[in-house]
Amino acid sequence: MNLASVKGLARYRALILPTAILTLLVWGAAIVTRVNLATLVDGIPRGVALWRHMFPPAWDAFSELLAPALETVQIAFVGTVFGVLFALVVGFVAAANINSNRIGRETARGLLSAERALPDLITLLLFVAIVGLGPFPGVMAVALSSVGMLGKLFADAIEEVDPRPVEALGAIGATKAQIIRFAVLPQVLPSFIANSMFRFDINIRMSIFLGAVGAGGIGFHLVSAVRLLEYQAALSAIVVVLVLVLACEKLSDIVRTKIFGQAVLR
Amino acid sequence: MLTVKNLAKRLPDGRLLLKDISFSVNKGEFVGILGESGVGKTVLLRCINGLTMPDSGEVMIAGPHVTHRINGNHQELRKIQRHIGMIFQGSILVKRLSALENVLTGRLGWISPLRSLLYGFTDEEVQHALAAMERVGVRHLANRRAETLSGGEMQRVAIARALIQDPYLLLADEPVSNLDPKNTEMVLDCLRPLTQQMAIIGVFHTPQLVSKYCTRAIGIKDGVIIHDGSPHITRHMQEEIYGAEWEEDTARPVAVA
Repeated sequence: MNLASVKGLARYRALILPTAILTLLVWGAAIVTRVNLATLVDGIPRGVALWRHMFPPAWDAFSELLAPALETVQIAFVGTVFGVLFALVVGFVAAANINSNRIGRETARGLLSAERALPDLITLLLFVAIVGLGPFPGVMAVALSSVGMLGKLFADAIEEVDPRPVEALGAIGATKAQIIRFAVLPQVLPSFIANSMFRFDINIRMSIFLGAVGAGGIGFHLVSAVRLLEYQAALSAIVVVLVLVLACEKLSDIVRTKIFGQAVLR
Repeated sequence: MLTVKNLAKRLPDGRLLLKDISFSVNKGEFVGILGESGVGKTVLLRCINGLTMPDSGEVMIAGPHVTHRINGNHQELRKIQRHIGMIFQGSILVKRLSALENVLTGRLGWISPLRSLLYGFTDEEVQHALAAMERVGVRHLANRRAETLSGGEMQRVAIARALIQDPYLLLADEPVSNLDPKNTEMVLDCLRPLTQQMAIIGVFHTPQLVSKYCTRAIGIKDGVIIHDGSPHITRHMQEEIYGAEWEEDTARPVAVA
């Protein structure tokens, strides 16, 4: 029904049923998940107490946190590079306008969806089982998780290229590899770079989280400080994490505008 | 140079588009193909360079040393296609590459895949490309990105790309259909002298352009050739090709300055 065509109160009548259903759903879910405003309010003093324990941050802890922070960035960086390289291959295999073999394509797409459905924690546990504890399984988990997302984005970008230059080069005797190099890559490269930078952002966060569950780096220090009740050291780690995340986000913003600012204006 | 014998082509929906097309073209000729839209002019060009396979009939392309027959073999097809230049409607360039790089892609059929992947165009090839651009008056645009060029400039870059193929045969599919009169004239003036080295077959939408620039016209109707000869087409023949109501209904603005 076109709401604009109904006059006065009548136009709201159509909203009654959806609103009622939505309210019921939210209410039900809130009861099941024990959402309770009183609990939240009662707990505020405990939160304030925790903050008192944490503040000020342990200043001498910062120097010890630099190496782990760097490790976190390195896990994300190496993982992103591996992920991008592998996603490039899978992306071309999964793109219908490049790979005419339907079975190969569907398999690639299927594997990518399966990877995306896999929680990062499980991916990490899998690699811990394979290569043992430490940063290495973290790198592998970051890489695999990046492939799941970037492989799909790359494949979609490849499928959306202007097909006419592809055919034009085919018409003058270029091979498939040459067509990819000269007609497809120039068209998709900007979106590949933008998505890879974006994924690097995500991987910094993922690498912190993976550290917290055993892959080393700053995340590990944050969690162990909390477990040892060294709240001031924990706040130092939190500050480092914040700076790290914001700095990487800014960096990838700068790189993206550097590359695309120009191209967009042209 | 080019011989088409009893060519027939069916559309995917089963309709017989081209029924029985035979003609041959020699070096020095500039053939304009005319016909109503949807008559199969573009399909005919695509059959000639192997982008589409005809259902029956033969396409033979004779170079100075060897004669090729278009067939489904990919390796062989590549060897023939590199001798056939192709210009499309709306000048198909790779927009994010420079004009010069676009021209260089004309050599891809000649160089080993590995070398081209590493971007190994030789200085000689670059000089060759610049000379081709000079010839069609776009050398000064060499370093501009293709997406910044005007329609007429793009089409001339596309001609330069075809030129560095050293083709026997140049196929042009409505090369000027979205250009203004001035650019139309410039592009066609570029094409005409090329017939000294090759044969050109172009699809055009107006008989006026064909009579001004071509040396020969081929008119197609209902899947067969109904006119093959003088580019100066009589009014009677125009009505045969386009139907009697052509003057009122399907006449497009004539782009001859």
